[in-house]
Amino acid sequence: MQPIQALKHLKTITAQYFSSAHMAKRNNKAIVYLNVFTPVELFYALDMVPVYPENHAAIIGARKMSQEVSPAAENLGYSMDLCSYPRCDIGSFVMRLSPTWGLPKPDLLVGSNGQCGTITKWFEVLSRMYEVPMVLIDVPHSGNGERDPAAERYVRSQLEDLVGVAEGISGNSLDQDKFKETIRISQEASRLWTRMLELGTADPAPMTVFDQFVAMFPIVSQRGTQEAVDFYSELVNELEERVANKVGALDNERYRLFWDNLPIWPELRPLSSFLGERGAGLVASIYTWAWSRLGVGEDDPFADWTEQYLYTFNFHMSKRIDMYVELAKRYNLHGFLYHSNRSCKYISQDIPEVRAAVTERTGIPGVILEADHNDPRLYTVASLERQIDSFLDLLAQKR
Amino acid sequence: MNGEHAWKPFRETVDAPMERARAWKEQTGGKVIGHLLPDVPEEIIHAAGALPTAVEGAGTQGTQAQAHIPGYTCSHAMGAIEQGMRHDLDILDGMIIPYVCDTTRNLFHIWNHCFPNKSNEFLRLPKRLDYPGAAEYLKAEFSRLADSLCNITGRPRDDEDLAASIALYDRSRAALRNAYRKQREQPAVWTSERVQTLFKSAAKAPREDHLRWMEALPWDEQSQDAMQRVPIYVRGKVWDPPGILDLFDKIGLLVVEDEMTTGYRGVATDAGSDGDPIDVLVRRHLSLTPYTGYHQQPDKLVSGFLERVQGSGAQGVIFLNPKFCEAAGFDTPDFQKALENAGIPSLVLESSSRGVSLEQIRVRVEAFREMIAEDLP
Repeated sequence: MQPIQALKHLKTITAQYFSSAHMAKRNNKAIVYLNVFTPVELFYALDMVPVYPENHAAIIGARKMSQEVSPAAENLGYSMDLCSYPRCDIGSFVMRLSPTWGLPKPDLLVGSNGQCGTITKWFEVLSRMYEVPMVLIDVPHSGNGERDPAAERYVRSQLEDLVGVAEGISGNSLDQDKFKETIRISQEASRLWTRMLELGTADPAPMTVFDQFVAMFPIVSQRGTQEAVDFYSELVNELEERVANKVGALDNERYRLFWDNLPIWPELRPLSSFLGERGAGLVASIYTWAWSRLGVGEDDPFADWTEQYLYTFNFHMSKRIDMYVELAKRYNLHGFLYHSNRSCKYISQDIPEVRAAVTERTGIPGVILEADHNDPRLYTVASLERQIDSFLDLLAQKR
Repeated sequence: MNGEHAWKPFRETVDAPMERARAWKEQTGGKVIGHLLPDVPEEIIHAAGALPTAVEGAGTQGTQAQAHIPGYTCSHAMGAIEQGMRHDLDILDGMIIPYVCDTTRNLFHIWNHCFPNKSNEFLRLPKRLDYPGAAEYLKAEFSRLADSLCNITGRPRDDEDLAASIALYDRSRAALRNAYRKQREQPAVWTSERVQTLFKSAAKAPREDHLRWMEALPWDEQSQDAMQRVPIYVRGKVWDPPGILDLFDKIGLLVVEDEMTTGYRGVATDAGSDGDPIDVLVRRHLSLTPYTGYHQQPDKLVSGFLERVQGSGAQGVIFLNPKFCEAAGFDTPDFQKALENAGIPSLVLESSSRGVSLEQIRVRVEAFREMIAEDLP
């Protein structure tokens, strides 16, 4: 396996990001905590510093610190049955133990329940903890994605009202030119990210999903900055070169697999090696695809955000099934690994139905791996490896 | 009707709710619409000419649901699927699943996939209760639901029908509030278990019948209560595990107020008749005690809860949290902390789709009662 050179910049990018976030107050910049489906471009345009507690939690998981910090949250009464992201985040705050020197104190919290309901409750806890205001963008998902004009008005009005709140907290007025420029930069980052994912259709795939997970940080936290564009430009160039030269992520790609759900952050490296040694390449994932259509237009970004939050990111069951069937074809998939993630009930509870329907429509088998995105106490690696091995045996027999 | 006989129709309804629905269907030829409880406006179902029937999954154990939804799901959702898979809900013509959390969102799709032959509706309730646009959005959503239900039943939508249904349900709520008051005044006769039977059956029987049965209850019956009861406040979703209220009765806890969808929260507020009937239902919904998945300014969520507890006169609080419920799980620690600061003891009990031991709960609740009773004058 040849490491991707562009990924080496991530360490510096991450360090610089957190360093500047910690310096924000000294530079008279307000800090806003966000989650995924929120209009980050607006906050960059207002010269605020966006910070993502989910990113912080994922880094804690990837650095294998969950078991150290999560019990501190559990001691406060947050059960192990709850999402491990907030448990790690809150536990890290309590213990003052963090791979990113903690998170700077926010001035505002903006969360959207279009992603999941846990965000609402997690941010409510943080709001009380830091004694700062919170704005929820309430996204009432339509059942099967049918148009809902009342919901569109409701979501749009919340987004428009957010401008005044953010201006008040930041002390800055929204400069339309800067706003448009931020949106253009964000669009470009989103375009490059999507291009990166599409390159995974090549045979052999130039990059595995494990590396996509690693490469997510700028598209999550720095959409709307030149740093994100520069990073993904270099990454895409390198991957295009690999595709042209038929250089794969794996030396011997035997199986092309799909990863459903969030990663198991503490096991990225072991699972990557385990699968790589068996010629099994993860070439596509719903989780990384979720970030592919985040760009909005300059003409009416509020309409585009509304459209995205209500419809594009409404990953209801029928849509997921259709999407997986389509991706199976595009990526020439041999199998699906479904991570039944105890922490993320939103994206996990319908997996039994999704798996059955996808296999019925494509003939492609899938295996359900019960684990957790951040808490290693809730699964065993040996058991996951045994399940994967049996699944790969099945794929071999099918051939 | 006198004595125990008067309680019979309520018990029969609770013991065999779908039999009651079947009898109604045979008699009227109407449609039976199930709903998964939290904040589904039964008046809209009733006005469309259908029978609203609450489906409570909690307390249902089985093995079939896990093939469709993972075990780390709350007992309420898991139990609903289980009941459906074992054909307990075949009488339903449709099902309304309210979007109050991620699990109900997923449950709608799984339900739709498992039971495609029923008319299934996803009621998109707004979560941001203190945002002005929530009322406008909810009005459109309730109107959409009304249209959808009238399509199912074939009855034309009529505001007068809805106003009449609202008036009926307000009368029923008033009667149930009365029963709740009697529980506080005459707990030996109006036990928590009996009163809960009234509440539970109200959500399953034709409401006109239920109201008539309630009028025949022995409202004037008096009985000396030998037990010193400790007043408590209960926060949760549904009474789970089954038998919990009987346990409270037996060990001398008196529920003076609760936030259960099948409890006082569901009857505390009337809709009234002031204005357009959909507007009236919207106003009622937005004035209810916030369900745990809803959002208000975070400090207000805690202070509002504390005020309700203090206003109830309760000496302690019990949280009945469904295992795996993210909303209840993240609310509880700060709520408990606020209670502790106010000198009010609290206890968290968890229910699970795999069942819990009532005996284990008894030991914990008895200890909790003794601790509070020591402080009572």
